[in-house]
Amino acid sequence: MSVVASERIIEFREALREAMSEEMRNDERVFLIGEEVAQYNGAYKVSKGMLDEFGPRRIIDTPISESGFSGLSIGAAMRGLRPIVEFMSWSFSLVAADQILNNAAKMLYMSGGQFGCPIVFRGNNGAGGQLASTHSWSVESLYANVPGLKMAIPYDAYDAKGLLKTAIRDDNPVFFLESERLLSTSGHVPEEEYTIPFGQALIRRSGTDCTIISFGRPLHFCLEAAEELAKDGIECEIVDGRTIRPLDIDTMIASVRKTNACVVVDQSWSFASVGSEIASQIHAICFDELDNYVHRVHSDDVPTPYAYNLEQAYMPNTRKICEAVRAATYNS
Amino acid sequence: MPIEITMPRLSDTMEVGTILHWHVQAGDDVSAGDLLADIETDKATMELQSFDDGKIGQLLIAEGEQVKVGIAIATLLEEDELPSDPQGDSETLESIPEQPEEQTNQPSTHLGGSRVSPVARRLAEVHGVDLQTIQGSGPAGRIIKRDVLQVVDATSETAAAANTIQSAPSTPVVASTVAASTVQPLAPVVPWQQDRTVPLSNMRQIIAQRLVESKQSIPHYQVTMTFDMDPLLEMRKTLNEQLVSSGVKLSVNDFLVRCCSLSMSTHPEFNASFGGDCILYHGPVNVGIAIALPEERGGGLVVGTIRNADQKSLRSISQETMYLSKKAREKGLSPEDMGDTTFTISNLGMFGVEHFTAIINPPNSAILAVGAAVEKPVVRDGELTVGHELSATLSLDHRVIDGAMAALYLQTLKELIENPASLLV
Repeated sequence: MSVVASERIIEFREALREAMSEEMRNDERVFLIGEEVAQYNGAYKVSKGMLDEFGPRRIIDTPISESGFSGLSIGAAMRGLRPIVEFMSWSFSLVAADQILNNAAKMLYMSGGQFGCPIVFRGNNGAGGQLASTHSWSVESLYANVPGLKMAIPYDAYDAKGLLKTAIRDDNPVFFLESERLLSTSGHVPEEEYTIPFGQALIRRSGTDCTIISFGRPLHFCLEAAEELAKDGIECEIVDGRTIRPLDIDTMIASVRKTNACVVVDQSWSFASVGSEIASQIHAICFDELDNYVHRVHSDDVPTPYAYNLEQAYMPNTRKICEAVRAATYNS
Repeated sequence: MPIEITMPRLSDTMEVGTILHWHVQAGDDVSAGDLLADIETDKATMELQSFDDGKIGQLLIAEGEQVKVGIAIATLLEEDELPSDPQGDSETLESIPEQPEEQTNQPSTHLGGSRVSPVARRLAEVHGVDLQTIQGSGPAGRIIKRDVLQVVDATSETAAAANTIQSAPSTPVVASTVAASTVQPLAPVVPWQQDRTVPLSNMRQIIAQRLVESKQSIPHYQVTMTFDMDPLLEMRKTLNEQLVSSGVKLSVNDFLVRCCSLSMSTHPEFNASFGGDCILYHGPVNVGIAIALPEERGGGLVVGTIRNADQKSLRSISQETMYLSKKAREKGLSPEDMGDTTFTISNLGMFGVEHFTAIINPPNSAILAVGAAVEKPVVRDGELTVGHELSATLSLDHRVIDGAMAALYLQTLKELIENPASLLV
């Protein structure tokens, strides 16, 4: 594990703030824009205190107009600035889909290399907790389908900071998917500067019997499931992909070659998803190493329910992951 | 409805069979009794005949493939029945022969109809495990990693136990399976010295299993005697010269088969089997002769049977022996040609071997290992002279035959060999 041991423990949201503030101190072109990021200190207090430090020219409140401020920021990026666009929720990015997919992701290609688009779109992704169907989007599969963008999903405070700094420095549009449910979690984050490169998955837990591949918040369920399964002698190896584009398929394959069984846990819907893509690649690359087909755990194929019990049952929870691992290892 | 032709059980011990050759093609008309295929069983090559009249629908198993008993190997259509598609008649039939070709490209799908996970297949290759010996524990009997590793583990335990047998002689170790290999390849010094793994043929598996059982369960001991061969060789020369026109060419082995069978009549315990709580004295005297098979037929050895050898003349013995050796080498012996031996002779004399010992061929209680008749200095009537001597070694089952009985048998044998006139009358 490349995690640097550190005594300092901070919240996930503080780690995000440190990443943005450090990069803004280092690079005058970087600015933050979004709904309530300035005066209100951020809808989720991620940007708390940043207005005081950097002033209203670089910490910019916007109206409720995702398409407008996304487009404005893309223009700024094309002209040489490095915007960080905060979506209160990635669910709201859908109204800016034309800007972020048709313009940001394709700008370098469509302009024949004349204009790049060094921009970060970040915000909460996934079921936040009884926010109901329209505000509980998991957009990873929907957006990862588009060439020209990068996508990172941090699992903890350490990764949140390291990956976000890399995102801000990247010359391409980066879709940075946070989780409302993780913002208050705390983790060791060193004082010293560090970044985490894209395309390098991390083994969160070593095991011999089944590889579990996931990203972001569901990894916490995977780790719970692994503890549960270990009681029955099934040792899972958990691979945190960290970035979906680029995808570190090599690390995943290396793990599957060891365990011969694989479960992909992806909180988006199963049809044409990140999970199905990873399963397909594993089948293609190491078919002869598999003892069973790659099993997948997703959110159920329905709009996210509002009721607490239904929402819990809908998500890729610990129970579903345990069932999938048992099935994949012929232990059910 | 098409009739399924399945792999028949052609011997009591047959579990799997290999299609050596199809004598028919899809679309051929066949009548009951027509030859369909040559099938190799654990020891013999057998002919499969059609039980019904009809038209061959499909050949499901390609030549060279092995399937379990009971698995469908071809379909037989009744008169005027069409393969499956009712619209085309001749066209449909023409398309049928493509099926087996497709099957040949995917021999892996025929492991007795069972399925294998990719990594299980790969592990089986690496460890030399025969997938056909494994019962899959996955869905629909799929053979999975765990099933292969269990066989590998079980075999290495057996091997480990065998290694410690000297320190713990009270634990009998009988290899229950010869399916998996645990021998470690040596590290290659240069690439072309790489060790290679060859899966066991049916025959090699049977040899391994039977001989381990024999050597481990039968209390073997050996008794050797040397015979003056000059009178017998002299008589053989005379007979072969005089009978050359009638195609007779007696070998030393033919004489020994006759000598042994006559001695068995005198010493019935040599024509007996150990039966656990009894000794079974056999009525017929059936002498087995070990026949080495050529490499191109997969090597190995079989034992052909000369039935009622004590009642047969040298000429009959010679003819039968030649017939059996030729058939064994060219086509393979049928169970009829091989079964029911009561005593076996293994002769390596033609290779110049002077002395060796053999492993008893159960349920026999003795086997004679015969060396070459060698020209050497001998003492005859107190004089040093040159003569031919042959040394033969009996391996015996001490549960049936004691040392003195073996000595008496060899004495009888010696009298017959050294006074061969009695072999003629």
